Amino acid sequence: MTGTSFNATLALIRDTFREAFARRIFWGFFGCCSALLLFLIFILRVDVVQGALATVSIFGNSLPSANVENLVEQTQSVIAMVLYFAGMALSVFASAGLVSAVFEPGRIELLLSKPVSRTHLLLGRYAGNVAVVAANILYLVVCSWIIFGIKTGVWGAGFLISSLCTIFVFSVLLAVIVLVGVIWDSAAVAIMVTFAIMIITPILAQKATIERLLSSEWSRDVVRVLYYTLPKISEISVIIRHLILNQPVESWMPVWSTALFGVGVLSLGIWRFNKRSF
Amino acid sequence: MSAFAIETEGLTRVYRNRWANTELRAVDDVSLQVPEGSTFGLLGANGAGKTTFVKMLLSSVHPTSGTARIFGRNSSEATSRQSVGYLPENHRFPTYMTGWGMLDFYGALSGMDSATRRRKIPELLTLVGLDERAWNTRLGKYSKGMLQRVGLGQAMIHAPRLLVLDEPSDGVDPVGRKQIRDVLQGLEQQGVTIFLNSHLLAEVELFCHDVAIIQKGKLSLAGSVKELTSSGGYRVTAFEVPEALISELATSAKAHSVEHNLLDLLFNTREQANAAVDKLRASACEIESLGATRSTLEEVFIRTISEKKA
Repeated sequence: MTGTSFNATLALIRDTFREAFARRIFWGFFGCCSALLLFLIFILRVDVVQGALATVSIFGNSLPSANVENLVEQTQSVIAMVLYFAGMALSVFASAGLVSAVFEPGRIELLLSKPVSRTHLLLGRYAGNVAVVAANILYLVVCSWIIFGIKTGVWGAGFLISSLCTIFVFSVLLAVIVLVGVIWDSAAVAIMVTFAIMIITPILAQKATIERLLSSEWSRDVVRVLYYTLPKISEISVIIRHLILNQPVESWMPVWSTALFGVGVLSLGIWRFNKRSF
Repeated sequence: MSAFAIETEGLTRVYRNRWANTELRAVDDVSLQVPEGSTFGLLGANGAGKTTFVKMLLSSVHPTSGTARIFGRNSSEATSRQSVGYLPENHRFPTYMTGWGMLDFYGALSGMDSATRRRKIPELLTLVGLDERAWNTRLGKYSKGMLQRVGLGQAMIHAPRLLVLDEPSDGVDPVGRKQIRDVLQGLEQQGVTIFLNSHLLAEVELFCHDVAIIQKGKLSLAGSVKELTSSGGYRVTAFEVPEALISELATSAKAHSVEHNLLDLLFNTREQANAAVDKLRASACEIESLGATRSTLEEVFIRTISEKKA
C-alpha cells in the first residue's frame, strides 16, 4: 500500500469512528461494556485460598464454591455468549446506518470524485465499521480478562481468542449489510436481511433433524445448500464455548465456510458498487 | 499531455425503464472540449442534463456510451481525478464534521499528507471567508452560505488543476458571491481551469470566457461569451433628424424610435449603420452615439432554448 492510499484508508476509518461517535453508537456500546466491567470489579467478589475457591459472592451473597478455573471459564463463556448474540444484534443494528449513510445523494458524489477507487472507498468504510465494533468487543473482553486474572489468577487465552471469533462473525454479517446497502440504500432492509440470517442459521444448524422430518429429496437438498452456503453462527458459538472451556474443537468447517460466505458476499457488494451509478 | 482539461466524445447516458418500456436520454452524444486554463460555463434549463454530464465526468455516473477524459486520462480511472476539485450541487456534507475536519478528511482522500493538510487548512478556510470561530464548529450548525464556502475550500484543498463547481454561489449573499468570484479569479490567474455549472447567467457572463448550452441532453451551442453576445447588431443615435430622413432610414433599420428629439436606430449589419451615418451627416444631423450592441448571455440562452423548441 502506498503512502497516499494508506492516508486515504486511515481517513476512511477515522471518519467512520467520528460518525459512530456522533451517532452515539460508539458511546452506547462503550457504556454497556463499562457497566459490565464495573459489575465485575465491584460486585463479583472472589476469595481464593491456596488455589481453591474459598468464597464467591455476588451482591454480598455467597455462592456455592467450586473449582476456580472452572468457575472463571464458565463465567467467561456466559459473557462471551451474551456478547456473541446480544452484542452482535446490537452491532448489526448500529452498523446498518453507518453503511447506508455513505450512499446518501450529495455525499456519495463527492466521495466518488476523489482519486480513490470505489473498491478502496467501500473497503475503507467496511474496515472502519469493523474497527468500531472490534474496539468495543476487545475493550470488554480484554478488560474483563484482566479483572478475572487479577481476582482469580486464571489467565486462560480461550476467552481472548473467543473475542476474535465474535469480531470475525460480525465482519461476515457486515458484508451482508454492505451488499444490501449497496443494492437498496436502505438501513432497514439491511437489518431485516441480516437478522433473517441470524434467525435462520441456528435453525439450519439442526440440519440432521430437519432432514429426517422432510419427505422429499429436493427439499433436503435445499436445506443442505442453505446450510453449507449461509454462515454458521450457531456452530461458531459452540466453537467459542469450547475454546473458552479448553475443550477440543471437533471441526473448523463452520469457520472457513462462514469466511467463504463473507468473502463471497463482500466481493459481490464491491462488484455492485463498482457497477452502480449514483 | 493533453491541451484539454476536459474532453468528451459522444458522451451519452440513457436511463431505461424496462417495466414501462421507456427510455430517457439524459445526455445525448455530447462532444465537448474545455481548454486547459479556461473558465467554462455549462448552461441549461432544469433537467437539461448538466448534472448528469458532470457526474459522468467525475465517474459517479457510468456513461452508456462515449468517453470522457480529464487532462487526457480516461475519467473512469481514479487517478484522473487527482487533479480535480469538485463542489456538488445539493451537497450533503456530513453534519458531524467540523469545517476543519471536513477539509482534513477530503484532503487525506485526495492523497495529501497530514503536515501539508495542517498547513493548508487554515489558509483555505481564511481564503473562502470562514470566520476562525467556525473552523471547529460542526457543519450541522453552518448556514447555507457557510456550507458553500467550506465546500469550495474542500474542492481547493489539494491545489487541483481543474475545479468543477456546481452552483457555487447558491445560498451565498451578494458580498459572499463577490468574495467567491474573487477567489475563483485568483485561481484563474494561476492557470486553474474552472468549469462552472450555474443557473445564474449574469454570474457566468461575468466570470466565464467560454460557455456551452445543453438542451434536452444535447449540446445546443458552444463558444466564447464574447462571440455569442456580440451578435446584437449596431446602434446609431442622432439628434433632431428631419421626419423625411427618419422615414428613409427606418426602412433599412430593424428597429427605430424617437424620444425627446433623439432618434435611436438599430441595424443588423455594420454596412447599414455606416450608410445611415453618411446620410445623417449629409443632412448635418448630430450623431450622439455609434456602436455595436451586445446581447446579454441571458438573451442568448433564451434565444437558443426557444429556437430549439421551435
